[in-house]
Amino acid sequence: MLKINWFSPLPPAHSGIAHNYAMQILPVLAKRHETILWTDQDYVAPEVESIARVAHYEPANPPWRALNDADISIYHLGNHGGIHGGIWQASRQHPGIVVLHDLCLHDFFAMVFLRTLEQPAAYLAALERWYGEEGRRAGEAFRIGGIGAETMAQQFPLTREAARGALGIVTHSHRMLEELDETPACPVAALDHPFAPAGDLRYQGWMAARRATPGPPYRLVVFGYLSRNRRLDAILEALAGVPEREQFRLEICGQLWDESHIRNEIERLRLGPLVNLHGFLPEDQVEAQLSTAHLALNLRFPSMGEASGSQLQFFDYGLPTLVTRTGWYASLSEDTTAFVRPEHEAEDIRAHLRDFLTDPGAFGAMGERGRQSLRRHDPEKYVDAIVRFASAALDFSPRIPALDLAGRIGNDFTQWLPPDAGAYLLERASQEIVTMCARKARDRDS
Amino acid sequence: MKALIVTCGVPFIRGGAEILAEGLRDAICAAGHQAEIVTLPFQSCPPSRIPEQMLACRLLDVTETCSVRIDRVIGLKFPAYLVPHPHKVIWLLHQHRTAYELWDHPAAGDLIHYPDGPVIREAIRRADRAFIPEASAIYTLSRNVSERLQRYCGISAEPLYNPPANAPLFHKGPSGDYFFFPSRINPVKRQWLAIQALALCREPVHVRFAGEADNEAQQAECGKAVRELRLGDRVEWLGVVSEEEKRDLYANCLGVVFPPVDEDYGYVTLEAMLSSKPVITCLDSGGPLEFVMDNHTGLIAGAAPQSLAGAMDALWADRRRAATMGEAGRERYLDLKIGWENVVDKLLC
Repeated sequence: MLKINWFSPLPPAHSGIAHNYAMQILPVLAKRHETILWTDQDYVAPEVESIARVAHYEPANPPWRALNDADISIYHLGNHGGIHGGIWQASRQHPGIVVLHDLCLHDFFAMVFLRTLEQPAAYLAALERWYGEEGRRAGEAFRIGGIGAETMAQQFPLTREAARGALGIVTHSHRMLEELDETPACPVAALDHPFAPAGDLRYQGWMAARRATPGPPYRLVVFGYLSRNRRLDAILEALAGVPEREQFRLEICGQLWDESHIRNEIERLRLGPLVNLHGFLPEDQVEAQLSTAHLALNLRFPSMGEASGSQLQFFDYGLPTLVTRTGWYASLSEDTTAFVRPEHEAEDIRAHLRDFLTDPGAFGAMGERGRQSLRRHDPEKYVDAIVRFASAALDFSPRIPALDLAGRIGNDFTQWLPPDAGAYLLERASQEIVTMCARKARDRDS
Repeated sequence: MKALIVTCGVPFIRGGAEILAEGLRDAICAAGHQAEIVTLPFQSCPPSRIPEQMLACRLLDVTETCSVRIDRVIGLKFPAYLVPHPHKVIWLLHQHRTAYELWDHPAAGDLIHYPDGPVIREAIRRADRAFIPEASAIYTLSRNVSERLQRYCGISAEPLYNPPANAPLFHKGPSGDYFFFPSRINPVKRQWLAIQALALCREPVHVRFAGEADNEAQQAECGKAVRELRLGDRVEWLGVVSEEEKRDLYANCLGVVFPPVDEDYGYVTLEAMLSSKPVITCLDSGGPLEFVMDNHTGLIAGAAPQSLAGAMDALWADRRRAATMGEAGRERYLDLKIGWENVVDKLLC
């Protein structure tokens, strides 16, 4: 049994990680391992405290003595600077396993460095560290509005900054780190995002609720933390372009990145009677919305790369879903989701909506298959896998001071060597390392 | 043979390790060889500096100096014992203890208070496991240090006992009305435990403490405890005493109180035995337990004030028994044949 420090948003934080991820994992984890839930939130829901001990920390001054009593710390990072900022501050000083819930973290670092910590120099240094002079220049342009946040997120995702000093990285998206060219210098595990489906009885109840509201009008649902990349503009534009739009109602559930902009768009496109804005919803109302919805629109562009907890929730409700063919979503099966091409967004959404009107039953079957696909997301298997990975990653820990040391040595050498010696030394060092590794492997085999 | 003793030290601080290194050098020279001490400065705070110093030791080349070959390197302390040499032996005084058994010790643990403490601890442990076995022979200061090395690193090593400095000058005098407690004043030596015990003694026990505090706060804390427990007339703080004064304090005491936490070796025990004095120590005191035989050469108490008070009362009330134990202690010391000759033979063999 391990003693684990767990850092993640916890209910009632407005975060899918808190509600859809942590609350699925923690009951299983806390039963098998001594788990301490560290939080900088002012308030934690009582049901969390019944799972494991909750302890508070100040991000600027965490209680290292108490943290060092555990075998390992597991930090959960996503793109919300306010929710994950404190967790990152602890993780960058105290090496542990970093679970990335988003892979493009530029928005997060821009928020933390530029707004929370007010350290523009640290922001630019991070960009320069991973992307050289080009990164620094882009960061400078971003600060004065010369480059947009979406472009920065795609070209300079800063994923490795989150992994800096980590003992290991867990993602829920196979291949994405390689695709982003952001592979960190520590062990990486790609695990299927955990999800415990509701029991059959509950599911049958949802299906009954859906049958009781057959449509038309058909209820379309958009759900979650609705940042710019959730494509609400495109969805509204597409809906407005569907001649049979009166047969749909669009339910927008979740916190909006710019509510007044969305309201203006709804008015401009004359969609007022067809669209409802619900804001962030408590659990019971989420259930009411999802069990009576007919189609979910779960688009991302640009994708921040990671698995979507809300997508798994849609599968759980047997809801057919439109997703963007990008990032983790692109790896979903064709028969569980309907794809929207980023470059033909409005056209594809419109086509799917019209297909839906033609054959709602086919979409219903797609939702059923989505629910079947949840089997491989079993939280128990996930807990076993993450703990196994964490135990193995502890082996990496001595390499952290070694890497720091190498950095300091490199820095010192650059002070007194001619400028062009750097490339030569790097080449020599690489050759030496390759030779040593080969020798070690030979010795081990013999 | 030219032997280089490599060790680490903190500039301006002198303790048992420095005395031991000098004793070893003198003994090697007395055996007809040449020996010098190389002391590398060591700084354990902040912990991120420790790997640098480990690497610095690994990069040192002491195979020869000005074309003169160094025949033997004797490594004593972390990280100096990591210095490579084809004919290196290690006589391990102790490893970096807060990376091992003192990691979570409430008073002594230091690495545990730093965010990078666990990774530095692991780096130290890995380096020890990788590089200590490079030595052609591994000895330790005591059985206690050998056991720790085996427990944490799986490395066996033979203990080599050495005598305290100026061993022949320790002598026996009349038993006075005090227990003697010579040590640096810090939480690991546990002067505070003796003070708390004193408050529980039924006999009018008196203790003389000798030694310098590691810092002013520790001295102040002990002073405060004495005041709060109203023990001012039963405690004396002698501070730093000369070697001669120390030997006299041993010679004229009733017995020696020495209850440290997991001491590596503990010259205090041997000095008491040479002075024919019984030693009161604790079950968790480490090194002293290799020498103190309970109820024969001293008393082994539990590591709690009440238990220690009981032991102090017992000897205070029965001086004859205390004297008999002291005599038995000296005989045991002589039986153990503790001397530099054996140490030098083993290290240069």
